Amino acid sequence: MSDDYAGRQGDRLKRGEMFRLIETFERGGMSRREFLRRSMALGFSIAATQSLFGVAERAAAAVGAPKRGGVLKAAFSADPAGFDPVRGPSGMSHVVIEQVYSTLMALDPDAKPYPELAESYTVSDDGLAYTFKLRRGVKFHHGDELTADDVKFTFDRLRAPNSGYSYGAQVETIKSVDVVDRYTARFRLSKRTGPFLIYMAFPGSSIVPKKLVESGHDLNAKPIGTGPFRFVSYEPRTAIKFVRNADYFEKGKPYFDSMEYRIISDITALTNALLSGVVNFSNEVPPKDFTKVRAHPDLAGLTLEGSRYHWLLLNTKREPFNDRRIRQAVSFALDRQALVEGAFFGLGTAILGGVIPKWNWAYADLRFVPPRGDPDQARKLLSEAGYPNGFRTTMSVASSFPNLMAMAPIIQANLARVGINAKIGTMEIPRYWDEVWSTSNFDITSMYWLSPLADPDDFVTNNYKCGMPINVQKYCSTEMDTLLDQAKSAATQEARRELYRKMQELSLRDMAQVPLVNGWLLIGHTKKLRNYRPMRTGFLKTLKDAWLE
Amino acid sequence: MLRVILIRLAVFVPTLLATSLVLFITVNVVPGSAARAALGIDATPQAIARFEAEQGLDRPLHVQYLDWLWGALRGDFGTSFQNHLPVGRELLARLPVTLELAALAFIIANLIALPFGALAAYHHQRRVDTGMSFLATVMGSVPNFWLATLLILILSLKLRVLPAGGYVALREDPARNLSLMLMPAISLGVVSSALLFRIMRAKMIEVLSSDYIRTALAKGAATGVVLWRHALRNGLITFLTVGAVEFGWLFGGVVIIEDIFLLPGVGQLVLVGIINRDYPVLLASALTVTVVVLTANMLVDLLAALLDPRHVHVRALR
Repeated sequence: MSDDYAGRQGDRLKRGEMFRLIETFERGGMSRREFLRRSMALGFSIAATQSLFGVAERAAAAVGAPKRGGVLKAAFSADPAGFDPVRGPSGMSHVVIEQVYSTLMALDPDAKPYPELAESYTVSDDGLAYTFKLRRGVKFHHGDELTADDVKFTFDRLRAPNSGYSYGAQVETIKSVDVVDRYTARFRLSKRTGPFLIYMAFPGSSIVPKKLVESGHDLNAKPIGTGPFRFVSYEPRTAIKFVRNADYFEKGKPYFDSMEYRIISDITALTNALLSGVVNFSNEVPPKDFTKVRAHPDLAGLTLEGSRYHWLLLNTKREPFNDRRIRQAVSFALDRQALVEGAFFGLGTAILGGVIPKWNWAYADLRFVPPRGDPDQARKLLSEAGYPNGFRTTMSVASSFPNLMAMAPIIQANLARVGINAKIGTMEIPRYWDEVWSTSNFDITSMYWLSPLADPDDFVTNNYKCGMPINVQKYCSTEMDTLLDQAKSAATQEARRELYRKMQELSLRDMAQVPLVNGWLLIGHTKKLRNYRPMRTGFLKTLKDAWLE
Repeated sequence: MLRVILIRLAVFVPTLLATSLVLFITVNVVPGSAARAALGIDATPQAIARFEAEQGLDRPLHVQYLDWLWGALRGDFGTSFQNHLPVGRELLARLPVTLELAALAFIIANLIALPFGALAAYHHQRRVDTGMSFLATVMGSVPNFWLATLLILILSLKLRVLPAGGYVALREDPARNLSLMLMPAISLGVVSSALLFRIMRAKMIEVLSSDYIRTALAKGAATGVVLWRHALRNGLITFLTVGAVEFGWLFGGVVIIEDIFLLPGVGQLVLVGIINRDYPVLLASALTVTVVVLTANMLVDLLAALLDPRHVHVRALR
């Protein structure tokens, strides 16, 4: 490979990084000085950067005052599975729930919690009691006022033994919820829970109307909450319709008259719908079509790093992947830069160390592998482990995940150059769940998983803790489990950060799973949309702050 | 006449039952459990057990089938595993969309195949015929979704004359409805017109060289009259029978086309049912397709009997 080629690859990555910087600056997410500093760090001259200022600032000035009206039509590829917070486990259900209901806390675009239904809150010193003072005069869509009774009812319901709530882990440390007075609710916890406020911002924690539910109303079919939009209708596999909640407690908001979530399961058809104006918003633009969307005269394209992991799972219960040196060798063999370029068209971050991303407070600047990998180190580890000539193995990939499919041949080639011959086997997703995933019947497999929460505990516990359902690679380490528990319940954020650093170091030594790429959120929307700030969690709560010209 | 109808109906019901049984067995034999398909990556053993209990999937197969059959006979097709909404209602809402699409595609296919088929037969063994036959072969070989994508690329994205997808009911906005149906109908219609063209052409060639045509021409009848009155009418009978098969094929071919053009029809339901292992949806929609195909065949048989006195006469003699 010539130097020129490597140079061009680097250029493309730089361009991707530059796109992000410009967007962040345009949105007002960084200061002039910061923008200048970061652009120069990328290698752009002062003159070039300063010429960009004019563009960015003109764009910022054009934002102006909010306008009421218009219909936001968003495109999604999956159907929701119900609209009751206690039942809807799918991401698509959550995207609907967060518009119709409200939560005690909410997350800002950078995933920091702030009080929403709560006006203020206090935490006891031992971290075992959270007291929320609620806003007054918040009305459900059917007219009743929201009170502490509704809060208690909501969480008792989630914690009930047969509730079917898929996120029981979030509410398992709640011992009780007490109604102190009409507008004050107190949560008593059984142990310190670091991510507690983040859990309170999760769509599953949406406050439901007690009297209505007790009278037999089915929230699954017709959700009633206190959110910015009222639910109008759901046509299965076609569209979900909302209309503005005129009595929303944030005065003046939302700005859209109504919204439509259109369900378009074919991903190319989704892009076409965006390009031809059938819809005017989507946060599921496939990487292959992002440049086209961005280049369209009526559309704007945004990128944002969230927590969308793609990783390689090595079955720790099978030879030779039971030896951590082999697992490390696999990690060293991979050219992650090629994966980002080839499968994500530059629109992703290669995970070179721990999986907690840079934007998160628990990020540990650990570098385990170089971007292009280190085949020599891989071969060395293979020799040490007793496989100097490599070995044969298989790789199972689910065919319905385009990114995983795109990465598979690249990974195969990377492994081949250090002597590991992996035969790729693909199958469609229902079969994959049955025959590969649930029975851990694989040597190597790959998976894509996104975290709907923004707390580091959610990024790591599901994958590294012994016995978790997603831990299909069957990694078990008491040291890891202890670190995870401690990090979750440590007293201060500083203490938690230190523990997550240790945890990530351990994860790299043990290489329980091989992190690959953190794929960026790719959003395309009409240029007429103003003040939309994408969220790191990939949710769409910030739509209530946006308007159409 | 009545006998024809009764015979047809008598075959209808057993065919439907047999199809439902085959579908049911296939769906349960194919790898990939419905529970995991519905729950995805969040599937814990408890969640799976709960799901299977709720949906009755833990019962023996014959019990499940009979229960489903009993419900289907009363019009209750169960609820979708994905969204827990009644399948029957969704199916009924989607049926008009697919019927309209198949009908429009059928009309387009015939509008192309009939005149060109007759023309090619009339100019048999001349360049016009060879050229048209070649074109028909090409058009019949391309996949309909390829044609669909090409149409979207040119007409929606490049020239911006037609919308890329979506649906609006005919009674709500006929103009928009037709503009949205045009490309899908063309994609389906053009590809199936090729086969119809060749059959029409073959039949017309046969008819044109028959004795009674020669007699008519010898008697001095104008060629135009001969073509339209005698030849076409006789050609049409055989043609209609094939046409019914073609309509059935069209109704099945809508599956991918509906997905591409975002048409909320029955075909999309079949696709979704397969991908998600959503058994109630799959069974109900696949059976609907069967019913439509059988009905179309039956209607065509009746029509053929009406048009051809020999048909009915022969039957009556038996």
